[in-house]
Amino acid sequence: MIIDLLKERLKKSRGYGELRYHKRDTFTVSIKDGKIDVLNNGMIEGVCARTLIDGSWGFSSTTMLEKDRIDKILKNAFSLAEASKPKKKRVVKLASLKPNVDKYETPMKIDPRKSGKEELVRLVIDVDKDVRGFSKNIVSDTVTFNVVDDDLGFLSSDGAEILQRLVRCYGSVMVIAREKGNIASAYESIGEESGLEVLKKTPLGDVGKTAAERASKLVSAKIAPGGLSDVILENRIVGLLAHEAVGHCAEADLVYGGSFLANKIGKEVASRKVTLVDDGRFPGGFGTMKYDDEGVPTLRTVIIDKGVCRSFMHSRETAQHFGVSPTGNARAWTFEYDPIIRMRNTFIEAGDRSLEELAEGIKEGFILKGGLSGQADFNGEFMFGTQEAVKIENGEFTESLRGVTISGNAFEVLKNVDAIGEDFAMRTGMCGKEQVNFAGIGGPHLRTKVLMGGMK
Amino acid sequence: MSLTDFTKLAVKYCAKIGADEAEAFAQSQQTIEVVLERAEIQSERVKAQRGIGIRIIKDKKLGFAYASTLSKASIEEACRNAQSLANVSIPNPDWVSLPKQAKLPKPPSGIFDAETANMGGDEVLNLAMRTYDEAKAYDKRVEIDDGKFSMISMEVAISNSHGVEVEEKTTLLNGFLICMAKERGEASSMAFEYDITRSLKDFSPEKIGRVAAEKALASLKPRSVQSFVGKVILDSDPASEILMYPIISSVNADNAQRGRSLWAGKLGEEVASKWLTVTDDGLFPKGIGSSSFDSEGVLHQKTSVIERGKLQSFLHSSFTANKEGKESTGNANRDGYNMLPSIFVSNLVVEAGKKKLEEMISEVDKGIIVRRFSGNVRPESGEFSGIAKQASYIEKGEIKHPLKETMISGNAFQTIMNIIEIGSETRPTFLKAYVPQITIDKINIISK
Repeated sequence: MIIDLLKERLKKSRGYGELRYHKRDTFTVSIKDGKIDVLNNGMIEGVCARTLIDGSWGFSSTTMLEKDRIDKILKNAFSLAEASKPKKKRVVKLASLKPNVDKYETPMKIDPRKSGKEELVRLVIDVDKDVRGFSKNIVSDTVTFNVVDDDLGFLSSDGAEILQRLVRCYGSVMVIAREKGNIASAYESIGEESGLEVLKKTPLGDVGKTAAERASKLVSAKIAPGGLSDVILENRIVGLLAHEAVGHCAEADLVYGGSFLANKIGKEVASRKVTLVDDGRFPGGFGTMKYDDEGVPTLRTVIIDKGVCRSFMHSRETAQHFGVSPTGNARAWTFEYDPIIRMRNTFIEAGDRSLEELAEGIKEGFILKGGLSGQADFNGEFMFGTQEAVKIENGEFTESLRGVTISGNAFEVLKNVDAIGEDFAMRTGMCGKEQVNFAGIGGPHLRTKVLMGGMK
Repeated sequence: MSLTDFTKLAVKYCAKIGADEAEAFAQSQQTIEVVLERAEIQSERVKAQRGIGIRIIKDKKLGFAYASTLSKASIEEACRNAQSLANVSIPNPDWVSLPKQAKLPKPPSGIFDAETANMGGDEVLNLAMRTYDEAKAYDKRVEIDDGKFSMISMEVAISNSHGVEVEEKTTLLNGFLICMAKERGEASSMAFEYDITRSLKDFSPEKIGRVAAEKALASLKPRSVQSFVGKVILDSDPASEILMYPIISSVNADNAQRGRSLWAGKLGEEVASKWLTVTDDGLFPKGIGSSSFDSEGVLHQKTSVIERGKLQSFLHSSFTANKEGKESTGNANRDGYNMLPSIFVSNLVVEAGKKKLEEMISEVDKGIIVRRFSGNVRPESGEFSGIAKQASYIEKGEIKHPLKETMISGNAFQTIMNIIEIGSETRPTFLKAYVPQITIDKINIISK
């Protein structure tokens, strides 16, 4: 068994050493316009070594699992750590940690490993058919469903031995509508850390309908105007704001680099209505795992409590630096990456207002729906795309317009939050910070102000 | 065993288990990466990767599987997985055939460099440090944020059941630095500079460091201007993202066949300003996307895409070409052995103009120059909107001052009709496009 081999080889490591084993089974089915575009079954498997020698890290990985290859990556990691040591200013020390010996498996009703693939292929074919049949102006679509099944092993020279199996099932629908020389696209997704039962909880066909409806409607719509505006951010895009613009500023490595939240512990950084959390064990969250990739238990971390900044997200290294306990935020995409500080499931907690009540407070503004990709600088400046902007006039939803990129400073946006909705939505995100990772993002509807980059 | 031995073994085994057609794509890669974060070496990695992807066609049904382990047992398992997926798949009536065997020409020059392939961790680290030191030494107001330097030495082998059997080695060096400048407690916006080359001798870490520092300093003390509609000079990188991305999406034959391209059915028509000539050239000397063959083993070639504003050709893989009874243009692309081929440019080369950047600036009466773009581009519709980063205001032919947060928006397809100038210096960008600076007109410039 590979874990036994690794345990034996790790005994020879000098200094503090970690070996991580990772096997990832991926199943993807993607239908484009009624035809199978991708039908994939893949496996990657490998091991990485990370060693800490006199305060300097070294890292090496391989997809070849023979004994001499394992010894070689340990040696590579060691010599990288030694060679780079004189060039590093920072001397790494790790917060102490009880070496955990544990096993975890995603709770599942329908284990994809025990299910046939035929049914999934058929389901995606059916969703594609419905989407294309939704309206005459829909010219093209892509419906995708994925299962990523990870076996993770974490071993440290301190004696940690953690085995986790994380299963994530997720899907998306992309629709393109065309009419009189105009083209519009829409996108929606589902997904959880769970077995295939996610398809019953949040049917792919439902989001397919949402996307089809939107593309079909927006193809003849005008583009929303530019400028500062009163808005309701739909619950499905509030997670983007929580993650991209606020969350990254609370990652201890970025705090250390002088992010917006540096020196803000105990200070008011948002409206008192706002509580923002990063939770590693949110049931079904896309970023849920029991231990992070340094063997630290994942905890619920309250970053902003009723407007006041309370905590950052840490690895063992930054926790030691800040003199706090590690929060279990060190994650790696695969065995080919060393763990860095990442969010798990980041969300703003729900309030008590209905959507109608939120709209009542707006004389002239928009509700922005459907998130696209976003970016943020660690001073809180952010931008992300929205798919649809529905006009609000005297509290009534009126005309649907094409969405535009919104931008601003996230903390200003959060200070301007004057009401929070009751409908909470959690969704999937793929976060890129040098390496990508699965992240859950969530929140309720928020009423605030943002800068919209539309047409004059 | 060589990589080709593994791909041949796979193709043979697929025939044995009953595939009509089969293809194996194997890859072996050594990567050394150095990541800088917050002015420090964050991590260095030495990665050894190998893997194989198997494509099987049975009764016009496609199955695909991959494995990161190259052994007889794991390859045979991947072949069986691909076969069982092909069994549950649905037939694609448009399927004709995998590509046929062709004779390889001489490889494009300068795509493999032994000196680069032999670099060790300390040498890549040295590139990162030289960049870092140059930026720091340039001006003491400069602060480094992050960066990444990587060396990739790659070998690819492809075999299929029609006798395609090709193998090639390439190297690539890639590095970027992000920094800002701080003065009296005020920080500039983040400045980004990079280099991508096939060989160590063409790679210039000092230039990355110096230019990044210059850009950061140039954006200190920003001011706002009133919103207006006007001219924008896009630096190569934002020009690539805003203008080339929608072009790349629109000339993709698969998108055209599916009605996802606004240019479907427009061959020979005017789609851009007469200033714009674009070629896809898979054999471009030292090109970051150059190699003898594409990801299906089809020979690379030079394809005229847009000639003085007129649409000349779509870019094809063997599948889309077969569907129209044409020859593939050699644009099948895979990001790794774990991906099926899809259509992408090899090297998209925008023909350079005659003017240097200073001349381009001198010809703008009222406008802005954008060196970085952080926003959304919808490739199908061409809509773009986002923040112009590292932007400066131009009036009467002169750069007046850096701009505070400003957004730009427009439609790329209308915008390429309004190109008024193309610069003389092209450089490679991350979309594998070689792009000069481009001046566009009638753009919404929105201030807070």
